[in-house]
Amino acid sequence: MRAPLKADPFSRNHLIRDAIGAALYDAMKADPAIHLFGEGAEIKMHFDAPQIEKELPDRAHTLPISEDGNVNFAVGASLLGVKPVVDIITADFLYRAMDSICNTAAKLNFVQVEGEPPRTIVIRAEFLMGGPTTGQRPEALFCHIPGLNVVVPSTPRDAYGLMRTALATPGVTIFFEDRMIPDSEFAGEDLEYSGPVPLGVGRLRQLGGKGTVTVLSYGLARPLMEKALRDWRMDVDLSIKLSADLIDLRSLYPIDWGMIKFYLARNGNLLIIEPDVRYGGIGAEIAATICEELPHVKIKRLGVLRATIPANPALHGTMLPTEQEIIDAINSF
Amino acid sequence: MPSTASEPQALTLYAQMVLIRVLEEELQKLCDIGEGADLHFNKGQEAIAVGVVAALRPTDYVVAHHRTIAHAIAKRVPLEPLVAEVLGLPGGLCGGRAGEMHLSDPPHRFMFSFQLVGTCVPVAAGLAWAVKNYQKTDDIVVVFHGDAATSNGQWHEGLNLAAVQKVPLLLICENNGLAGNVTPKYYQPVPWVEERVSGYGIRHCRIDGNSVQGVYDAVQQVGAAIRQMGKPFFLECMTTRLSKHKQGQGDIRSKEELAELALRDPLLQEARRLGLPHEQSDDVFCEAEEQVELAIAAARGEVVEAGASG
Repeated sequence: MRAPLKADPFSRNHLIRDAIGAALYDAMKADPAIHLFGEGAEIKMHFDAPQIEKELPDRAHTLPISEDGNVNFAVGASLLGVKPVVDIITADFLYRAMDSICNTAAKLNFVQVEGEPPRTIVIRAEFLMGGPTTGQRPEALFCHIPGLNVVVPSTPRDAYGLMRTALATPGVTIFFEDRMIPDSEFAGEDLEYSGPVPLGVGRLRQLGGKGTVTVLSYGLARPLMEKALRDWRMDVDLSIKLSADLIDLRSLYPIDWGMIKFYLARNGNLLIIEPDVRYGGIGAEIAATICEELPHVKIKRLGVLRATIPANPALHGTMLPTEQEIIDAINSF
Repeated sequence: MPSTASEPQALTLYAQMVLIRVLEEELQKLCDIGEGADLHFNKGQEAIAVGVVAALRPTDYVVAHHRTIAHAIAKRVPLEPLVAEVLGLPGGLCGGRAGEMHLSDPPHRFMFSFQLVGTCVPVAAGLAWAVKNYQKTDDIVVVFHGDAATSNGQWHEGLNLAAVQKVPLLLICENNGLAGNVTPKYYQPVPWVEERVSGYGIRHCRIDGNSVQGVYDAVQQVGAAIRQMGKPFFLECMTTRLSKHKQGQGDIRSKEELAELALRDPLLQEARRLGLPHEQSDDVFCEAEEQVELAIAAARGEVVEAGASG
């Protein structure tokens, strides 16, 4: 069985998007400096956050399809204290704004005059599974650039909390919205918006038995990891011991090294599951760092091959790690 | 013309141009002995920055490209921290982190400058948007860029954004007919930059950028119009760069060509127009040299102290 999750770009999740809308609304009510910019910014609020359209109509600004220019435009507005949220729409389109994000926005607070308040900018984009140029996940590229924070929440609660934090934190945050996680993957407190979630703090999703495996994931890989263990428990002989500490990183830069090392101290086994190209990815950085600092830890990585994404979403789904691969990797330690 | 700068003010503008010229010449000497980075100078283009800024309010904002020294001086950024910054010293405006190409001094409304060609235009459009819609004052923003920038996507996206968002932005093209050492036949398929502007519905005109008085007069009128209408305007200022593109790079132009261009030197033209006696002009140069010498000594002195105490 491949394609473990429904990967249909025409049934995108809404609960994470609703949480982002709620976070924007709450933050904008509290802080008049927050303004929304982007292609179709106003119509997006009409469909996704009608409260903003109704109560704060002069705070969303539709800009042309000029992603690079739009980020630079937002940088200009930030010079007078505006806290812009720039919507790039699809994550692949971030490539069009690499110059303004990496050269302008990321350098802004570094080159400024001593004593000037640091500017706050949030750049948001969504992951889809729509093909070669609408299915890519460029988060690792941004983690490489000093001056940028990078977050990939995998639940509505974390989406709300991280957006609130990004808007209250001086600096530039790249906020990824993972629309490929089915709404059915959220339950219980994942659905409750309880306030800000700090940058650089992972979340323990499940505590395993002592001496087992620490599994790290983020974004779409978080439900892959959980579903694999859930299904395993239902399917197999319970006498076979399969247990793991499951961690959702949530924040890729800064990353929660403290949490990762704390759990590795319990078991010495690390499995990293990425929803993205493994080569040069987040997992590679984590693996290399752990290898240098905790050489006794055994490390395995699961991720996506460095291959171009096909237009057929089911084919894209086959590129992701399968439940069986996850179970086999855990058992192999 | 009623808007023409009065004689005392004309002398001030002349003195400012001289200060830029002298400062850049002294910095050039430091570059030559390896104490400055690859600086970009404005020699021959001084009239534009000086004329534009003088015709606007002190509270109006400036955004510049990578050739920033003239604009900073025009905006009255203090000399000593400016010198320290372009030399990359810790006592600089931005702690030596920004250098000449990312210089800023928001307290003097010199808001932003950027090395990558064209970036300054959409950034200035966004700043002008915030002046109008967030700060809600009738100040305007002026952005300086070169003719070469008009081939870059950021220039086009910036003009489009400024036009659709109706922002109070004065776009100043310092048209020196060069992109580094590359001539317009490689980047500009139309005779004038302003032809490119008409596609964005932005009003525009072309003037002699080597006449500080002419620039001043034009910007007085255009600035008032932008303030009143709250919309962008584009001014193409024809000029001549008499320096090479940057330190450490050759100049494609022959000595004869440069000598001919030097006849259009805005400083010479203005001294002649004002009928300045030689001695008076010399006095202006002497005063600038003294100021620059003091500023450079003070800027470099800070580094000696920091090194000694460390």
